Amino acid sequence: MHSILIKNGRIIDPKNNVDTIGDVFIEDGKIVYVGVSCADTADIEIDATGKLVTPGLIDLQVHLREPGREDRETIETGSRAALKGGVTSVVAMPNTTPVADNQSVIEFVLKRAREVDLINIFPTGTITKGQDGTMLSEMKELKNSGAVAVTDDGSDVQNPQILRRAMEYAKTHDILIMSHCETTELTDGGVMHEGWVSTQLGLSGTPAISEDYAVEKNIMLAKLTGARLHLLHNSTKGAVEAIARAKKNGATNITAEVSVQHFALLDEECLGYNTQAKMYPPLRSKEHVDAIIEAIKSGTIDALTTDHAPHIEPDKLKPFEDAAMGSVGLETSFAVMNTYLVKQKHITLSEGIALMTHKPAEIIRSDRGTLSVGATADVSIFDTTKEWIVDPKAFESKSKNCVFAGKTLKGKATDVIVGGVIKMKEGTII
Amino acid sequence: MSETIEQTLRDIRQKRDVSFFDLYSIDQLSLNDLEIIFDVARGFREAKTAKLTLCKGNTQVNCFFEPSTRTQASFDLSAKHLGMDTTNVGGSASSAKKGESYIDTVETLDAYNARTIVIRSSEAGVAEMASRCVQASILNAGDGWHEHPTQGLLDALTILDHFNIKTLEGKIILIVGDILHSRVFGSLVRVLRKLHADVRVAAPLTFLPAEVERFGITTHTNIEEALVGADVVYALRVQEERGATGYIPTIREYSKTFGISERRLNLAKPEAILMHPGPVIRDIDVHSALVSRHPQSRILQQVENGMAIRKALLWLLSERYDGKRKEFKRM
Repeated sequence: MHSILIKNGRIIDPKNNVDTIGDVFIEDGKIVYVGVSCADTADIEIDATGKLVTPGLIDLQVHLREPGREDRETIETGSRAALKGGVTSVVAMPNTTPVADNQSVIEFVLKRAREVDLINIFPTGTITKGQDGTMLSEMKELKNSGAVAVTDDGSDVQNPQILRRAMEYAKTHDILIMSHCETTELTDGGVMHEGWVSTQLGLSGTPAISEDYAVEKNIMLAKLTGARLHLLHNSTKGAVEAIARAKKNGATNITAEVSVQHFALLDEECLGYNTQAKMYPPLRSKEHVDAIIEAIKSGTIDALTTDHAPHIEPDKLKPFEDAAMGSVGLETSFAVMNTYLVKQKHITLSEGIALMTHKPAEIIRSDRGTLSVGATADVSIFDTTKEWIVDPKAFESKSKNCVFAGKTLKGKATDVIVGGVIKMKEGTII
Repeated sequence: MSETIEQTLRDIRQKRDVSFFDLYSIDQLSLNDLEIIFDVARGFREAKTAKLTLCKGNTQVNCFFEPSTRTQASFDLSAKHLGMDTTNVGGSASSAKKGESYIDTVETLDAYNARTIVIRSSEAGVAEMASRCVQASILNAGDGWHEHPTQGLLDALTILDHFNIKTLEGKIILIVGDILHSRVFGSLVRVLRKLHADVRVAAPLTFLPAEVERFGITTHTNIEEALVGADVVYALRVQEERGATGYIPTIREYSKTFGISERRLNLAKPEAILMHPGPVIRDIDVHSALVSRHPQSRILQQVENGMAIRKALLWLLSERYDGKRKEFKRM
């Protein structure tokens, strides 16, 4: 019998409406007790006095780059980065090399995840073969080999007829579709949000309408087909308004996420041709960021993610137009949520944690993300008072491209338990 | 002879220094900087092509990642007139074409201890990014659709001297053409607004970048209305390919609706001047008869002022009196 007792922490378990000072008792990989005081003794005791104890965080959108681009990130380095951020489960995007459009890639990712044995990795497959938007992938095979969803993230299925058929086919086998919403003809080479900042920098803009139009298309097709649709990294006012409208009209098959940079940062981060702020979708103007925050407050948004996108230094040292898009984020996501949403009093800490635990878990139909008695013991402990300046050089992630570099954030994971095993103790990965 | 000219220039300069070390955007310039640059440039304009020794011993590299004839020749001649040694890199023979990053190319040139590096690139921001990587002073000779600061400065000098004024307060300046794809516009609008001009732009809406009004200007879709009362009519080049890519139906229709003809120019103030950054596509942006020989045209004065502005900047940046140096540490 292997047991861990977490003593005297502030336990927040949104799924069970728990917000209390108390103890968590873990035995044989399961949560056994959550309450004010546990009388039992355990093999290991963790003093969580003054700290926050939550279900391990779940991130629905992570690029681990393995197989193919191990120079950017590997399943091991990505897993270590996740632990640093208190993230115990990640959904791995399929745009690897080769792309995960067949079961062998899914099986490879799962095998590497078992070997590395640090966090839970949920792979995804592609919607179309080679993510080229024409022929459907063998979704049933992908699901059977362990994919939790299909997505062409990194590009988008442009042809509405193909997308309609993909949704109908996915519904046939009860498979979740995750859509990256973009209308490429409207993006037309845009490299940042189209607006006053892009005009000042003389850069080609990605208009908000490019995303709005694709979100509307996806929602209409989901309504028509009844497929389960998850909308990735929403960044525009039009997108979240469309989602709110669909939900108000009773759509229960649609969920939506926001990546943390899209509520924390404005397109002004790009000034000075800061390529770390080059994102996909781009950082937006205040009008959009305000709408995103409102959508989070009103419950329109179901999950907060990172879109963790590692890139090697030379790909960010290019002219802005040619530089790679994206930022690593696993090591900062909780702190960004805490700093920009909770400390700004937009939402409560419990609401923020819900968007990073049981709510994303439900989207991929995982029973993780809770501290329910009997649940698998994925637990993260945070020091929410810890102020730190983001220094990517100290990151576990193999890539150091981080849009939050130099920013002061509040909150840091100290201890992480995955499946009842301590994987990080006092900030050190074991 | 050249000693007298140099003494005159030193007298004009009065040991003044500008506040910046690199020039990639007009946004960097204060009104005091503008005054120094214009004063010194006027001195150089008088000096014509005199061979001077003001910057003797200094090296300049003209780094043109995007082909250019006029701007490159202007920078090169300017540096030579000041006594600098110059070399030109870029084009099809450059290392950039072999996959070397711009930053690596510029760092290598900097290691030659060049005092000034002039950069032209088809991407926005290259000069600004390069300025953070080198000890040399970087001069932006045009970056993508962003800015072309020496062009903006020479335009402002042309207007100020034509009207013999110190600021552009009360002057109406109309800019016509493809604003969206124009780095000339990027610098021009900034310098004109700094000098308090009343700036109008006229173009099809497809040629206007998002929220362009926030430069503090007004936009017009009717060229005739926009021309009324203008002191300066500034036409920008419209490239042939814009027709093919859906910004305008045809160059023909653009020329008919926005091209500057004699009849249209007459709608502006009688003493108004016509300007164009070149190269002029005759009979498309501007009616052929108006280009260089028309009494209202200032197109060739612009070119002459370009040399003067570039000489002024090269001297101001490479020879400082205040002893200050760009803060830079090679990694």
